[in-house]
Amino acid sequence: MNKTTTGRLRLPELMLFGVAAGVFALGATLVVTGMLVGTKPAAAHKEHHAQEDLALFQELFMEQVILGDRLFHGDAEAAEEMGVNLSDTGMACAMCHPHGRDTNPHEFPKWQEQMSEFATLRDMTNWCIENPNQGEVIDDDSQAMKALEAYQIWSHTGSVLNPGEH
Amino acid sequence: MGRQDRDERRRHAERLEEVREALKKGELLEPGVTMPGMSRRTFIHKSLVFGGAAAGVSAAKLWLPLINTFDMAYAAEGGMNNFRFAWVSDTHLYPEEVNDRFVEKAKLAVEEINALDPPADFVVIGGDVAQLGDPVELRLGKAILDEIDVEKHYIPGEHDWYLDMGELWVDQFGEAPWTFDHKGVRFIGLDTVGHGPDYWSATNMTPEQRMGHMAGLDNSVTGPWAGLGKAQREWLQSTLSDWPKDDPVIIFSHNPLYEYYPPWNFWTRDWRETQEILAPYTNVTSFHGHTHQVLYNEIGNFRSIGMLATAWPWPYAPENVPKLTRPMTRVDPGDHFDGVGWDLMRFRDNRAEHEYMMWRRRDHLFASRPEDTTVTKNATIRLRSRVADRQWVGKYKGTD
Repeated sequence: MNKTTTGRLRLPELMLFGVAAGVFALGATLVVTGMLVGTKPAAAHKEHHAQEDLALFQELFMEQVILGDRLFHGDAEAAEEMGVNLSDTGMACAMCHPHGRDTNPHEFPKWQEQMSEFATLRDMTNWCIENPNQGEVIDDDSQAMKALEAYQIWSHTGSVLNPGEH
Repeated sequence: MGRQDRDERRRHAERLEEVREALKKGELLEPGVTMPGMSRRTFIHKSLVFGGAAAGVSAAKLWLPLINTFDMAYAAEGGMNNFRFAWVSDTHLYPEEVNDRFVEKAKLAVEEINALDPPADFVVIGGDVAQLGDPVELRLGKAILDEIDVEKHYIPGEHDWYLDMGELWVDQFGEAPWTFDHKGVRFIGLDTVGHGPDYWSATNMTPEQRMGHMAGLDNSVTGPWAGLGKAQREWLQSTLSDWPKDDPVIIFSHNPLYEYYPPWNFWTRDWRETQEILAPYTNVTSFHGHTHQVLYNEIGNFRSIGMLATAWPWPYAPENVPKLTRPMTRVDPGDHFDGVGWDLMRFRDNRAEHEYMMWRRRDHLFASRPEDTTVTKNATIRLRSRVADRQWVGKYKGTD
Protein backbone atom coordinates (compact mmCIF):
# COMPACT_ATOMS: atom_id res chain seq x y z
CA MET A 1 0.00 0.00 0.00
CA ASN A 2 2.32 2.67 -1.25
CA LYS A 3 1.51 6.24 -1.77
CA THR A 4 3.20 8.11 -4.52
CA THR A 5 5.37 11.01 -3.62
CA THR A 6 2.82 13.32 -5.16
CA GLY A 7 0.28 12.32 -2.51
CA ARG A 8 -2.19 10.89 -4.98
CA LEU A 9 -4.45 8.14 -3.65
CA ARG A 10 -4.93 4.80 -5.22
CA LEU A 11 -8.28 3.85 -6.78
CA PRO A 12 -9.91 1.97 -3.82
CA GLU A 13 -9.11 4.82 -1.49
CA LEU A 14 -10.50 7.29 -3.96
CA MET A 15 -13.74 5.32 -4.21
CA LEU A 16 -14.10 5.14 -0.45
CA PHE A 17 -13.53 8.88 -0.15
CA GLY A 18 -16.06 9.55 -2.91
CA VAL A 19 -18.75 7.46 -1.24
CA ALA A 20 -18.15 9.15 2.12
CA ALA A 21 -18.35 12.58 0.54
CA GLY A 22 -21.56 11.62 -1.24
CA VAL A 23 -23.19 10.41 1.97
CA PHE A 24 -22.19 13.59 3.76
CA ALA A 25 -23.56 15.76 0.97
CA LEU A 26 -26.83 13.83 0.94
CA GLY A 27 -27.17 14.16 4.70
CA ALA A 28 -26.43 17.86 4.61
CA THR A 29 -28.97 18.33 1.81
CA LEU A 30 -31.62 16.53 3.82
CA VAL A 31 -30.94 18.63 6.91
CA VAL A 32 -31.06 21.92 4.96
CA THR A 33 -34.17 20.83 3.07
CA GLY A 34 -35.75 19.78 6.35
CA MET A 35 -35.07 23.22 7.80
CA LEU A 36 -36.56 24.94 4.81
CA VAL A 37 -39.73 22.92 4.39
CA GLY A 38 -40.25 22.16 8.06
CA THR A 39 -39.95 18.38 7.83
CA LYS A 40 -38.06 16.24 10.28
CA PRO A 41 -35.39 15.98 11.40
CA ALA A 42 -35.85 19.19 13.39
CA ALA A 43 -32.77 21.34 13.45
CA ALA A 44 -33.62 23.97 16.07
CA HIS A 45 -31.15 24.74 18.82
CA LYS A 46 -28.59 22.14 17.72
CA GLU A 47 -26.03 24.90 17.35
CA HIS A 48 -25.50 28.20 19.10
CA HIS A 49 -27.11 31.03 17.14
CA ALA A 50 -24.99 33.56 15.38
CA GLN A 51 -26.07 37.18 15.32
CA GLU A 52 -27.02 36.83 11.66
CA ASP A 53 -29.36 33.94 12.54
CA LEU A 54 -31.17 36.12 15.04
CA ALA A 55 -31.29 39.00 12.57
CA LEU A 56 -32.84 36.66 10.01
CA PHE A 57 -35.46 35.43 12.47
CA GLN A 58 -36.33 39.04 13.33
CA GLU A 59 -36.51 39.97 9.68
CA LEU A 60 -38.85 37.08 8.92
CA PHE A 61 -41.03 38.13 11.86
CA MET A 62 -41.10 41.79 10.86
CA GLU A 63 -42.10 40.85 7.31
CA GLN A 64 -45.29 39.44 8.79
CA VAL A 65 -45.77 42.45 11.07
CA ILE A 66 -45.43 44.81 8.12
CA LEU A 67 -47.85 42.75 6.04
CA GLY A 68 -50.28 42.78 8.97
CA ASP A 69 -49.78 46.53 9.41
CA ARG A 70 -50.70 47.06 5.73
CA LEU A 71 -53.78 44.84 5.93
CA PHE A 72 -54.83 46.43 9.22
CA HIS A 73 -54.59 49.89 7.64
CA GLY A 74 -56.65 49.02 4.57
CA ASP A 75 -53.80 48.74 2.03
CA ALA A 76 -55.64 47.61 -1.12
CA GLU A 77 -52.52 46.11 -2.73
CA ALA A 78 -51.77 43.99 0.32
CA ALA A 79 -55.37 42.74 0.40
CA GLU A 80 -55.16 41.85 -3.28
CA GLU A 81 -51.83 40.06 -2.81
CA MET A 82 -53.37 37.99 -0.03
CA GLY A 83 -56.64 37.45 -1.90
CA VAL A 84 -58.77 38.83 0.95
CA ASN A 85 -61.60 41.35 1.21
CA LEU A 86 -61.44 42.67 4.76
CA SER A 87 -64.01 45.44 4.32
CA ASP A 88 -66.93 46.49 2.18
CA THR A 89 -67.58 49.79 3.94
CA GLY A 90 -64.34 51.67 3.33
CA MET A 91 -63.56 51.07 7.01
CA ALA A 92 -60.12 49.67 7.83
CA CYS A 93 -59.29 48.05 11.18
CA ALA A 94 -57.10 51.02 12.12
CA MET A 95 -59.98 53.47 11.78
CA CYS A 96 -61.33 52.21 15.11
CA HIS A 97 -57.97 50.91 16.37
CA PRO A 98 -55.17 53.45 15.75
CA HIS A 99 -51.85 51.82 16.64
CA GLY A 100 -53.92 48.73 17.39
CA ARG A 101 -55.53 50.44 20.40
CA ASP A 102 -58.44 48.50 21.92
CA THR A 103 -57.66 45.32 20.02
CA ASN A 104 -56.20 44.15 23.34
CA PRO A 105 -54.35 41.08 22.03
CA HIS A 106 -52.82 40.60 25.48
CA GLU A 107 -56.27 39.84 26.93
CA PHE A 108 -57.12 36.89 24.69
CA PRO A 109 -58.43 34.26 24.90
CA LYS A 110 -61.53 35.44 26.71
CA TRP A 111 -65.31 35.33 26.84
CA GLN A 112 -66.27 37.72 24.07
CA GLU A 113 -69.54 39.46 24.74
CA GLN A 114 -70.39 40.37 21.13
CA MET A 115 -69.94 36.78 20.01
CA SER A 116 -71.40 35.13 23.09
CA GLU A 117 -68.57 32.64 23.06
CA PHE A 118 -65.08 31.91 24.31
CA ALA A 119 -62.88 33.51 21.67
CA THR A 120 -59.32 33.84 20.47
CA LEU A 121 -57.83 36.97 18.94
CA ARG A 122 -58.32 35.37 15.53
CA ASP A 123 -62.02 34.80 16.27
CA MET A 124 -62.42 38.44 17.25
CA THR A 125 -60.51 39.64 14.20
CA ASN A 126 -62.86 37.72 11.95
CA TRP A 127 -65.88 39.04 13.87
CA CYS A 128 -64.75 42.60 13.16
CA ILE A 129 -64.12 41.80 9.49
CA GLU A 130 -67.60 40.34 9.16
CA ASN A 131 -69.65 42.79 11.24
CA PRO A 132 -68.48 46.40 11.43
CA ASN A 133 -66.39 46.07 8.25
CA GLN A 134 -68.92 43.89 6.40
CA GLY A 135 -66.03 42.10 4.68
CA GLU A 136 -65.44 38.42 4.07
CA VAL A 137 -64.11 36.27 6.91
CA ILE A 138 -60.69 34.74 6.29
CA ASP A 139 -59.30 31.31 7.07
CA ASP A 140 -58.13 31.06 10.68
CA ASP A 141 -54.80 29.63 9.57
CA SER A 142 -54.28 31.81 6.52
CA GLN A 143 -51.19 33.92 6.05
CA ALA A 144 -53.35 37.05 6.17
CA MET A 145 -54.74 36.08 9.59
CA LYS A 146 -51.30 35.23 10.94
CA ALA A 147 -50.02 38.59 9.71
CA LEU A 148 -52.95 40.47 11.29
CA GLU A 149 -52.29 38.63 14.53
CA ALA A 150 -48.56 39.43 14.30
CA TYR A 151 -49.24 43.15 13.85
CA GLN A 152 -51.75 43.38 16.68
CA ILE A 153 -49.52 41.55 19.16
CA TRP A 154 -46.38 43.38 18.04
CA SER A 155 -48.16 46.73 18.42
CA HIS A 156 -48.74 45.85 22.09
CA THR A 157 -45.13 44.91 22.86
CA GLY A 158 -44.50 45.55 26.53
CA SER A 159 -48.17 45.37 27.54
CA VAL A 160 -48.97 43.17 30.50
CA LEU A 161 -50.33 39.75 29.58
CA ASN A 162 -53.81 39.65 31.04
CA PRO A 163 -55.81 36.75 29.55
CA GLY A 164 -59.53 36.64 30.14
CA GLU A 165 -59.81 40.36 30.97
CA HIS A 166 -63.10 41.93 29.87
CA MET B 1 -63.95 33.10 53.26
CA GLY B 2 -66.23 35.60 54.96
CA ARG B 3 -70.00 35.79 54.70
CA GLN B 4 -69.78 38.79 52.40
CA ASP B 5 -67.47 36.93 50.01
CA ARG B 6 -69.77 33.92 49.96
CA ASP B 7 -72.79 36.10 49.21
CA GLU B 8 -70.89 37.81 46.42
CA ARG B 9 -69.89 34.48 44.90
CA ARG B 10 -73.45 33.21 45.12
CA ARG B 11 -74.80 36.31 43.39
CA HIS B 12 -72.15 35.97 40.72
CA ALA B 13 -73.05 32.31 40.13
CA GLU B 14 -76.73 33.25 39.88
CA ARG B 15 -75.98 35.93 37.31
CA LEU B 16 -73.95 33.52 35.22
CA GLU B 17 -76.75 30.96 35.38
CA GLU B 18 -79.26 33.54 34.19
CA VAL B 19 -77.01 34.49 31.27
CA ARG B 20 -76.63 30.83 30.33
CA GLU B 21 -80.39 30.30 30.48
CA ALA B 22 -81.01 33.36 28.34
CA LEU B 23 -78.44 32.14 25.83
CA LYS B 24 -80.12 28.72 25.66
CA LYS B 25 -83.51 30.28 25.03
CA GLY B 26 -82.10 32.50 22.33
CA GLU B 27 -83.25 35.56 24.21
CA LEU B 28 -79.97 37.36 23.79
CA LEU B 29 -79.47 39.07 20.51
CA GLU B 30 -77.44 37.74 17.65
CA PRO B 31 -73.84 38.99 17.60
CA GLY B 32 -73.59 42.52 16.32
CA VAL B 33 -77.30 43.21 16.48
CA THR B 34 -78.77 45.56 19.04
CA MET B 35 -82.18 46.62 20.15
CA PRO B 36 -83.32 49.99 18.81
CA GLY B 37 -82.26 52.55 21.35
CA MET B 38 -80.58 49.99 23.53
CA SER B 39 -77.02 48.82 23.78
CA ARG B 40 -76.30 45.15 24.05
CA ARG B 41 -74.74 45.68 27.43
CA THR B 42 -77.86 47.37 28.70
CA PHE B 43 -79.95 44.63 27.28
CA ILE B 44 -78.06 41.96 29.14
CA HIS B 45 -78.11 44.03 32.29
CA LYS B 46 -81.84 44.69 32.08
CA SER B 47 -82.59 41.14 31.13
CA LEU B 48 -80.97 40.08 34.36
CA VAL B 49 -82.76 42.64 36.41
CA PHE B 50 -86.19 42.20 34.87
CA GLY B 51 -86.24 38.54 34.09
CA GLY B 52 -84.48 37.92 30.85
CA ALA B 53 -86.93 38.96 28.16
CA ALA B 54 -86.32 41.62 25.57
CA ALA B 55 -90.01 42.36 25.18
CA GLY B 56 -91.22 45.57 26.70
CA VAL B 57 -87.88 47.31 26.67
CA SER B 58 -88.59 50.88 25.82
CA ALA B 59 -86.77 52.53 22.96
CA ALA B 60 -87.97 55.93 24.07
CA LYS B 61 -85.62 58.80 23.39
CA LEU B 62 -83.99 59.78 26.62
CA TRP B 63 -81.63 62.66 26.11
CA LEU B 64 -79.52 61.93 29.15
CA PRO B 65 -77.33 62.70 30.83
CA LEU B 66 -76.34 66.31 30.85
CA ILE B 67 -72.73 67.11 31.33
CA ASN B 68 -70.76 70.25 31.98
CA THR B 69 -73.33 72.65 33.23
CA PHE B 70 -71.31 75.70 34.06
CA ASP B 71 -71.81 79.29 35.03
CA MET B 72 -71.26 81.61 32.12
CA ALA B 73 -72.39 85.16 32.60
CA TYR B 74 -73.13 85.83 28.99
CA ALA B 75 -76.12 88.02 28.65
CA ALA B 76 -78.36 90.77 29.76
CA GLU B 77 -81.07 90.31 32.31
CA GLY B 78 -84.30 88.45 32.39
CA GLY B 79 -83.30 85.61 30.17
CA MET B 80 -83.89 87.72 27.11
CA ASN B 81 -80.85 86.25 25.48
CA ASN B 82 -81.52 82.59 26.05
CA PHE B 83 -80.48 80.58 23.02
CA ARG B 84 -78.98 77.34 21.81
CA PHE B 85 -76.66 76.16 19.11
CA ALA B 86 -75.75 72.75 17.73
CA TRP B 87 -72.50 71.11 16.61
CA VAL B 88 -72.15 68.41 14.02
CA SER B 89 -68.84 67.19 12.67
CA ASP B 90 -66.61 64.30 11.67
CA THR B 91 -69.14 62.85 9.27
CA HIS B 92 -66.20 61.38 7.25
CA LEU B 93 -68.35 60.85 4.20
CA TYR B 94 -67.29 58.42 1.51
CA PRO B 95 -69.30 58.36 -1.72
CA GLU B 96 -72.67 56.88 -0.76
CA GLU B 97 -72.11 53.66 -2.74
CA VAL B 98 -68.96 52.97 -0.66
CA ASN B 99 -70.52 53.60 2.74
CA ASP B 100 -74.20 54.43 3.17
CA ARG B 101 -74.00 54.19 6.97
CA PHE B 102 -72.01 57.42 7.28
CA VAL B 103 -74.47 59.16 4.96
CA GLU B 104 -77.41 57.85 6.97
CA LYS B 105 -75.97 59.18 10.22
CA ALA B 106 -75.08 62.60 8.80
CA LYS B 107 -78.66 62.92 7.54
CA LEU B 108 -80.04 61.82 10.91
CA ALA B 109 -78.06 64.55 12.68
CA VAL B 110 -79.46 67.13 10.27
CA GLU B 111 -83.02 65.88 10.78
CA GLU B 112 -82.72 65.99 14.56
CA ILE B 113 -81.19 69.47 14.55
CA ASN B 114 -84.00 70.71 12.31
CA ALA B 115 -86.52 69.18 14.73
CA LEU B 116 -85.21 71.14 17.73
CA ASP B 117 -87.94 73.16 19.42
CA PRO B 118 -87.13 75.94 19.99
CA PRO B 119 -84.75 75.84 17.05
CA ALA B 120 -81.02 76.38 17.31
CA ASP B 121 -79.85 79.89 16.51
CA PHE B 122 -77.04 78.43 14.42
CA VAL B 123 -75.05 75.26 13.78
CA VAL B 124 -71.29 74.82 13.70
CA ILE B 125 -69.79 72.22 11.38
CA GLY B 126 -66.55 71.08 13.00
CA GLY B 127 -64.65 69.62 10.04
CA ASP B 128 -63.87 66.22 8.52
CA VAL B 129 -67.05 66.37 6.47
CA ALA B 130 -65.26 64.18 3.87
CA GLN B 131 -63.09 61.10 4.38
CA LEU B 132 -60.53 61.53 1.58
CA GLY B 133 -61.15 65.11 0.45
CA ASP B 134 -62.74 63.78 -2.73
CA PRO B 135 -64.95 66.28 -4.60
CA VAL B 136 -67.77 63.69 -4.59
CA GLU B 137 -67.50 63.46 -0.80
CA LEU B 138 -67.30 67.21 -0.22
CA ARG B 139 -70.26 67.90 -2.52
CA LEU B 140 -72.27 65.14 -0.85
CA GLY B 141 -71.51 66.78 2.50
CA LYS B 142 -72.54 70.16 1.20
CA ALA B 143 -75.83 68.78 -0.10
CA ILE B 144 -76.63 67.08 3.24
CA LEU B 145 -75.61 70.03 5.41
CA ASP B 146 -77.44 72.54 3.20
CA GLU B 147 -80.64 70.92 4.49
CA ILE B 148 -80.01 72.47 7.92
CA ASP B 149 -82.62 75.20 8.25
CA VAL B 150 -80.63 77.68 10.32
CA GLU B 151 -77.40 79.61 9.87
CA LYS B 152 -74.26 77.47 9.47
CA HIS B 153 -70.59 78.14 10.27
CA TYR B 154 -67.81 75.87 9.02
CA ILE B 155 -64.27 75.02 10.11
CA PRO B 156 -62.15 72.49 8.19
CA GLY B 157 -60.70 69.13 9.21
CA GLU B 158 -57.62 67.45 7.75
CA HIS B 159 -59.73 64.96 5.77
CA ASP B 160 -61.33 67.88 3.91
CA TRP B 161 -58.07 69.57 3.08
CA TYR B 162 -55.10 67.54 1.89
CA LEU B 163 -56.19 66.33 -1.55
CA ASP B 164 -56.28 69.82 -3.07
CA MET B 165 -54.91 71.79 -0.09
CA GLY B 166 -58.29 73.17 0.86
CA GLU B 167 -59.26 74.62 -2.52
CA LEU B 168 -62.67 72.99 -2.88
CA TRP B 169 -63.35 73.27 0.85
CA VAL B 170 -62.86 77.04 0.83
CA ASP B 171 -64.88 77.33 -2.36
CA GLN B 172 -67.84 75.45 -0.87
CA PHE B 173 -67.71 76.31 2.83
CA GLY B 174 -65.71 79.54 3.08
CA GLU B 175 -62.51 80.52 4.84
CA ALA B 176 -61.53 80.24 8.49
CA PRO B 177 -60.70 81.82 10.90
CA TRP B 178 -63.84 83.82 11.46
CA THR B 179 -65.60 85.56 14.34
CA PHE B 180 -69.02 86.92 15.23
CA ASP B 181 -70.79 88.15 18.35
CA HIS B 182 -74.09 86.65 19.33
CA LYS B 183 -76.20 87.54 22.38
CA GLY B 184 -73.28 88.57 24.55
CA VAL B 185 -70.82 85.87 23.48
CA ARG B 186 -67.87 86.28 21.13
CA PHE B 187 -67.66 83.22 18.88
CA ILE B 188 -64.45 82.35 17.04
CA GLY B 189 -63.80 79.59 14.48
CA LEU B 190 -60.19 78.50 13.83
CA ASP B 191 -58.41 76.56 11.11
CA THR B 192 -56.07 74.08 12.84
CA VAL B 193 -55.42 71.88 9.79
CA GLY B 194 -54.13 74.12 7.01
CA HIS B 195 -50.89 75.26 8.63
CA GLY B 196 -48.94 72.01 8.96
CA PRO B 197 -45.44 71.15 7.76
CA ASP B 198 -44.75 70.12 4.15
CA TYR B 199 -44.27 66.35 4.59
CA TRP B 200 -44.98 65.48 0.95
CA SER B 201 -42.46 67.29 -1.26
CA ALA B 202 -39.33 65.45 -0.07
CA THR B 203 -40.79 62.09 -1.14
CA ASN B 204 -42.64 63.40 -4.22
CA MET B 205 -46.06 62.27 -3.07
CA THR B 206 -49.05 62.55 -5.36
CA PRO B 207 -52.05 64.46 -3.94
CA GLU B 208 -53.76 61.11 -3.34
CA GLN B 209 -50.75 59.80 -1.41
CA ARG B 210 -50.59 63.03 0.61
CA MET B 211 -54.27 62.70 1.50
CA GLY B 212 -53.93 58.97 2.15
CA HIS B 213 -51.24 59.44 4.79
CA MET B 214 -53.12 62.30 6.39
CA ALA B 215 -56.27 60.18 6.58
CA GLY B 216 -54.52 57.68 8.87
CA LEU B 217 -54.72 58.95 12.44
CA ASP B 218 -51.77 56.78 13.47
CA ASN B 219 -49.58 57.36 10.43
CA SER B 220 -45.84 57.86 10.94
CA VAL B 221 -45.44 60.35 8.11
CA THR B 222 -47.34 63.60 8.58
CA GLY B 223 -45.92 64.80 11.91
CA PRO B 224 -47.35 67.57 14.08
CA TRP B 225 -49.67 69.03 11.48
CA ALA B 226 -52.26 70.42 13.87
CA GLY B 227 -51.70 74.02 14.86
CA LEU B 228 -52.77 77.63 14.43
CA GLY B 229 -49.55 79.03 13.03
CA LYS B 230 -48.10 82.45 13.78
CA ALA B 231 -50.38 84.51 11.54
CA GLN B 232 -53.55 82.97 12.95
CA ARG B 233 -52.34 83.40 16.53
CA GLU B 234 -51.77 87.07 15.80
CA TRP B 235 -55.25 87.27 14.28
CA LEU B 236 -56.68 85.65 17.44
CA GLN B 237 -54.93 88.13 19.69
CA SER B 238 -56.09 91.03 17.58
CA THR B 239 -59.67 89.72 17.41
CA LEU B 240 -59.87 89.48 21.19
CA SER B 241 -58.17 92.81 21.88
CA ASP B 242 -61.45 94.80 21.96
CA TRP B 243 -63.35 92.17 23.96
CA PRO B 244 -63.87 92.70 27.73
CA LYS B 245 -61.69 90.28 29.70
CA ASP B 246 -64.59 88.85 31.73
CA ASP B 247 -67.06 88.41 28.89
CA PRO B 248 -67.58 84.94 27.46
CA VAL B 249 -65.58 83.66 24.53
CA ILE B 250 -66.37 80.42 22.72
CA ILE B 251 -63.79 79.00 20.33
CA PHE B 252 -64.35 76.25 17.77
CA SER B 253 -61.49 74.24 16.32
CA HIS B 254 -61.07 70.84 14.77
CA ASN B 255 -58.18 69.83 17.04
CA PRO B 256 -57.98 70.31 20.82
CA LEU B 257 -56.30 73.54 21.94
CA TYR B 258 -54.23 71.71 24.55
CA GLU B 259 -51.88 68.73 24.57
CA TYR B 260 -53.72 65.45 24.94
CA TYR B 261 -51.96 62.91 22.65
CA PRO B 262 -49.62 64.28 19.94
CA PRO B 263 -49.10 60.95 18.07
CA TRP B 264 -52.72 61.20 16.91
CA ASN B 265 -52.65 65.02 16.69
CA PHE B 266 -55.00 65.14 19.65
CA TRP B 267 -53.49 68.59 20.27
CA THR B 268 -52.33 71.72 18.51
CA ARG B 269 -48.54 71.97 18.50
CA ASP B 270 -48.63 75.68 19.45
CA TRP B 271 -51.18 75.24 22.25
CA ARG B 272 -48.90 76.94 24.79
CA GLU B 273 -48.71 80.12 22.73
CA THR B 274 -52.49 79.95 22.17
CA GLN B 275 -53.10 79.56 25.90
CA GLU B 276 -50.93 82.62 26.58
CA ILE B 277 -53.16 84.67 24.28
CA LEU B 278 -56.30 83.38 26.02
CA ALA B 279 -54.97 83.58 29.59
CA PRO B 280 -56.20 87.16 30.32
CA TYR B 281 -59.77 86.19 29.47
CA THR B 282 -61.62 84.68 32.39
CA ASN B 283 -64.42 82.88 30.57
CA VAL B 284 -63.15 80.90 27.58
CA THR B 285 -64.73 77.68 26.36
CA SER B 286 -63.28 75.61 23.54
CA PHE B 287 -65.24 73.04 21.54
CA HIS B 288 -63.27 70.71 19.30
CA GLY B 289 -63.80 67.75 17.02
CA HIS B 290 -61.21 65.23 15.71
CA THR B 291 -61.10 63.10 18.86
CA HIS B 292 -64.54 61.44 18.34
CA GLN B 293 -65.00 60.88 22.07
CA VAL B 294 -66.25 62.32 25.33
CA LEU B 295 -63.57 64.66 26.72
CA TYR B 296 -63.39 67.45 29.24
CA ASN B 297 -60.40 69.48 30.38
CA GLU B 298 -59.59 72.71 32.16
CA ILE B 299 -56.46 74.85 32.16
CA GLY B 300 -56.85 77.88 34.41
CA ASN B 301 -59.91 79.78 33.19
CA PHE B 302 -59.97 77.83 29.96
CA ARG B 303 -62.31 74.86 29.60
CA SER B 304 -62.36 72.44 26.71
CA ILE B 305 -65.00 69.99 25.58
CA GLY B 306 -64.45 67.21 23.04
CA MET B 307 -67.42 66.76 20.72
CA LEU B 308 -68.87 63.67 19.12
CA ALA B 309 -68.42 62.42 15.58
CA THR B 310 -71.35 61.12 13.60
CA ALA B 311 -69.17 58.55 11.75
CA TRP B 312 -67.40 56.42 14.37
CA PRO B 313 -65.86 56.82 17.85
CA TRP B 314 -62.09 56.83 18.40
CA PRO B 315 -60.69 54.93 21.36
CA TYR B 316 -59.14 56.88 24.22
CA ALA B 317 -55.40 57.42 23.84
CA PRO B 318 -53.16 55.02 25.77
CA GLU B 319 -52.00 57.83 28.07
CA ASN B 320 -52.69 61.39 29.16
CA VAL B 321 -56.51 61.32 29.10
CA PRO B 322 -57.40 64.55 30.98
CA LYS B 323 -58.09 63.78 34.62
CA LEU B 324 -61.25 65.87 34.55
CA THR B 325 -62.74 63.71 31.82
CA ARG B 326 -65.46 61.37 32.90
CA PRO B 327 -64.90 58.70 30.24
CA MET B 328 -67.65 57.39 28.02
CA THR B 329 -68.82 53.83 28.36
CA ARG B 330 -67.03 51.64 25.85
CA VAL B 331 -68.97 51.18 22.66
CA ASP B 332 -70.48 48.15 20.98
CA PRO B 333 -68.52 47.74 17.73
CA GLY B 334 -71.45 45.85 16.18
CA ASP B 335 -73.73 48.87 16.44
CA HIS B 336 -72.72 51.71 14.14
CA PHE B 337 -75.00 54.14 15.97
CA ASP B 338 -73.16 53.57 19.25
CA GLY B 339 -70.71 56.14 20.60
CA VAL B 340 -71.62 58.74 17.98
CA GLY B 341 -74.06 61.63 17.50
CA TRP B 342 -73.98 65.41 17.68
CA ASP B 343 -73.82 68.08 20.40
CA LEU B 344 -76.16 70.73 21.75
CA MET B 345 -75.36 73.84 23.79
CA ARG B 346 -78.11 75.64 25.69
CA PHE B 347 -77.71 79.10 27.23
CA ARG B 348 -80.32 79.80 29.84
CA ASP B 349 -80.40 82.22 32.76
CA ASN B 350 -76.69 82.86 32.69
CA ARG B 351 -75.85 79.20 32.68
CA ALA B 352 -74.55 77.16 29.79
CA GLU B 353 -75.26 73.47 29.37
CA HIS B 354 -73.52 71.14 26.99
CA GLU B 355 -75.20 67.89 26.07
CA TYR B 356 -73.86 64.89 24.16
CA MET B 357 -76.67 63.86 21.79
CA MET B 358 -75.39 60.32 21.47
CA TRP B 359 -77.62 57.96 19.53
CA ARG B 360 -77.14 55.12 21.99
CA ARG B 361 -76.42 54.86 25.71
CA ARG B 362 -78.65 57.75 26.59
CA ASP B 363 -79.12 56.26 30.02
CA HIS B 364 -75.48 55.38 30.70
CA LEU B 365 -73.26 57.50 28.51
CA PHE B 366 -70.59 57.86 31.17
CA ALA B 367 -68.78 54.89 32.62
CA SER B 368 -69.70 54.39 36.23
CA ARG B 369 -67.33 51.51 36.93
CA PRO B 370 -63.72 50.86 35.86
CA GLU B 371 -64.68 47.83 33.77
CA ASP B 372 -67.10 49.90 31.66
CA THR B 373 -64.38 52.03 30.08
CA THR B 374 -61.15 51.22 28.29
CA VAL B 375 -59.33 54.14 29.92
CA THR B 376 -58.60 52.02 32.98
CA LYS B 377 -56.73 49.53 30.79
CA ASN B 378 -54.05 52.14 30.17
CA ALA B 379 -52.09 50.97 33.19
CA THR B 380 -51.26 47.69 31.43
CA ILE B 381 -51.01 48.81 27.80
CA ARG B 382 -48.05 49.94 25.72
CA LEU B 383 -48.44 50.79 22.02
CA ARG B 384 -45.86 51.08 19.25
CA SER B 385 -45.66 53.29 16.18
CA ARG B 386 -46.37 51.84 12.75
CA VAL B 387 -43.65 50.37 10.55
CA ALA B 388 -45.25 49.82 7.14
CA ASP B 389 -45.34 53.52 6.23
CA ARG B 390 -41.88 54.55 7.37
CA GLN B 391 -40.47 54.54 3.86
CA TRP B 392 -42.52 57.71 3.32
CA VAL B 393 -41.02 59.59 6.20
CA GLY B 394 -38.86 62.31 4.71
CA LYS B 395 -37.45 65.66 5.64
CA TYR B 396 -40.09 68.28 5.88
CA LYS B 397 -40.16 72.01 6.20
CA GLY B 398 -40.65 73.42 9.64
CA THR B 399 -43.60 75.47 10.73
CA ASP B 400 -44.23 78.58 12.74
